[in-house]
Amino acid sequence: MSATHSLYRRLATWLLLPLLGLGTLMLVQAYLSARDAADRAFDRLLEASSLAIAEQVKWQDDQLWLDLPPAALAMLATDAQERVFYALYDDRDNFITGNARLPGLTASDDTALHYGDIRWHGMALRLGVRASRLEGWSQRERFEVRVAHTREGRDRLALSLFAGSLGRIAIMALLAVAVVLLAVRAALAPLTRLRRAIRGRDPRTLAPLALELPRELAELRETLNDLLARMRRVRANQERFVGDASHQLRTPLAGLSARAELALRQDDPQAWRAALEAIQSASARTARLAVQLLSLTRLNNPEATPAPACLDLVETARSATRHALAACHRRGIDLGLEAPDDAVMIDGIDWQLEEALNNLIDNAQRYGARRITVRVGALPPTLEVEDDGPGIPAEQRLLMLRPFHRGAETGDGSGLGLAIVDGIARTHHARLTLAEGHGGRGLRATLLFLGDRE
Amino acid sequence: MRAALALFLSLLLGLAPAGTAGAQSRLDYPARAGGTGTALTINGALDTPLIAPLLEDFHHRNPDIALRYDNLTTLAVYSDFLDDETDPRPDVVLSSAMPWQYRLANDGYAQPLESPAARAWPEWARWRHELFAITFEPVVIVYRRELAERFGAVTSHAGLLDLLTEHRQALEGRVVTYDPTLSGAGYSYAIEEARLSPRYWELVAALGSVDTALVGTTREMLEGLAAGRYLLGYNLLGSYARDFVSSHPGLEIAVPDDYALVTQRLAFIPRDAPHPRAARRFLDYLLSEAGQRAISELTTLGAIHPALDGPGTANALRERLGDALRPIRIGPGLLATLDRLKREALLARWTREFRRGTIGAAAPQETTPP
Repeated sequence: MSATHSLYRRLATWLLLPLLGLGTLMLVQAYLSARDAADRAFDRLLEASSLAIAEQVKWQDDQLWLDLPPAALAMLATDAQERVFYALYDDRDNFITGNARLPGLTASDDTALHYGDIRWHGMALRLGVRASRLEGWSQRERFEVRVAHTREGRDRLALSLFAGSLGRIAIMALLAVAVVLLAVRAALAPLTRLRRAIRGRDPRTLAPLALELPRELAELRETLNDLLARMRRVRANQERFVGDASHQLRTPLAGLSARAELALRQDDPQAWRAALEAIQSASARTARLAVQLLSLTRLNNPEATPAPACLDLVETARSATRHALAACHRRGIDLGLEAPDDAVMIDGIDWQLEEALNNLIDNAQRYGARRITVRVGALPPTLEVEDDGPGIPAEQRLLMLRPFHRGAETGDGSGLGLAIVDGIARTHHARLTLAEGHGGRGLRATLLFLGDRE
Repeated sequence: MRAALALFLSLLLGLAPAGTAGAQSRLDYPARAGGTGTALTINGALDTPLIAPLLEDFHHRNPDIALRYDNLTTLAVYSDFLDDETDPRPDVVLSSAMPWQYRLANDGYAQPLESPAARAWPEWARWRHELFAITFEPVVIVYRRELAERFGAVTSHAGLLDLLTEHRQALEGRVVTYDPTLSGAGYSYAIEEARLSPRYWELVAALGSVDTALVGTTREMLEGLAAGRYLLGYNLLGSYARDFVSSHPGLEIAVPDDYALVTQRLAFIPRDAPHPRAARRFLDYLLSEAGQRAISELTTLGAIHPALDGPGTANALRERLGDALRPIRIGPGLLATLDRLKREALLARWTREFRRGTIGAAAPQETTPP
């Protein structure tokens, strides 16, 4: 696919190939018309010669008589020294006189003179046949004068005419090729400018391109600028996230370090034990934070997103509930599942949805719920986790979706749970809504799958 | 049909090669030792005494080629060529019957010769590169010295016409020329002269008025002149006449200075020549300066080569006679000469004019212009 390698070559090829075809057609046409013109010019000789002979035909001694004028034959031979033939036939096609028994031509119309190309004894001849009749008082005998000569003069004239038009066509072709190449180059010049502008940029900057370009390329520039703007937002997000993450990780690590230092100053093994227990729970929390950071990173990385597959929401909810059951049971929390009997099929990624449910259940138990209900709806497909905990005030609900924003400072959550769920909802074209639970208590988080309706 | 054609041909070209009584009709030159043994066959209508010096010179230069020359009548040259049975086929065909030679070339029987000499050959002395004129022979008037002493030298056609009309009585039966009905050469001179000027018919009438003798060959005319039977011969082939007059001091030769027909011997190589390479060498020799010099110095045939200007060359004649020379044009006009009806028409007219002169002589007051 070399044509795709260069836009220039591709354009030039598509313009020059038809031009080549056109040139060939012109050459063929020029040759044919040169031949035609030469034939027309030389047919005059046949016409004049046959007329000169026909005028000398008379009736004498009871037969057709011809006093052949030598000039009539001489005029058939030009500078090219053609071979010359003539014959006189009567109306019954009897040969009267001549130097060759030339064939007749079948007349297609009523004109007195007909021309034809014949091969005669291995020679290509141009034949002119003149049908005429005596104009005497009593004799009105019909006769035919046939004259022919070889084609050297015609070929020579045709060739010189053709050579003339060949020169003209060659000049035209050269001009056309030059114009096409220049035009293609000029048309592609903005592309080169764009390329240079992109290449000449500081690779770290994401500032939009400001470049005067023709309409077609301006669209490309706008698209590029959109992409750059998105990349700027993504990078801002990432920078904030990295900042938040390091801040979040530094605090528990500093706490761990301080706790360990405090314990080391004491000699009481009881105190050591208490410190170790505190350290263990703090490090577990930190590990969980790290895991959540990882999964958030994974969610935000569009290149690592697997293709969605058809899955059953009921099955997913059941699996997530089963996983969380033991932990809830230990804490004395009542975890329930409400699901229709039939499967609810959507396109999605099962581990992400399970993760979302885990996060929601986990959040609920951390913030002091006593009762958690996982609910699956069929029309439209929904996943819902409701608890009877303290809930979130309406004005804070949107803020809760940002990473590291924690509702109650007292809880031991990382502040990432709802952000993760929101991320998962977006990859599934689902909408995450937070609302009050039953009777105005607690929190109800709903994932509404919009499918293609978005 | 063939017999009729042969009869017609023999009528048209019914002359033996002019003045060849007892001439050898075949010459053979074997290849010298070490030669390839290629036997070059030349069919010609050119008397052996005239061509022998040329063949010897060529053979001397090309000893590896064996030569065979057949001297034929112009008719035989033509009919043998068209006869497929002829054995051996000729490699070179050479004849003074210009229309026949032209017709063969026109019909595509000749092959082209592309040598430097052929390319340099004068335009007027060749047709394409197939047919070449190799000699330049004026048609002349020969008369006895006593005629010049009595009436003055005859140097032009106009002078001849005046002589014939003014001294009809003295010249009665003492003038000789070709019979165009018997001789192909006479016929082709007649047709050329008729084309040149309508006054030709006055001359024919004048010839008729002195009861001119009509014969078939130049040789007959020369012998009659030498014997004193005729005082003046009109339209003799110059190449034969020059040779003859040089040995007969009683005769004088004149190339007319108002117009002089010039015939040329035409040579070509047939397309089916068995030895085309040797044939090309021979024809090339005839066109070369050396060959043409041999023609001008060893024979009475005139040489054409533009570089030669000694006696007996086209250049020398041109210098003397200038525009008066009328070489018979090698072109399609020659085909008209061969036309059957044309021939009959011309001969009828010729005979009519000639008779008119005879009748006019009986009643001079009717035809003599006022």
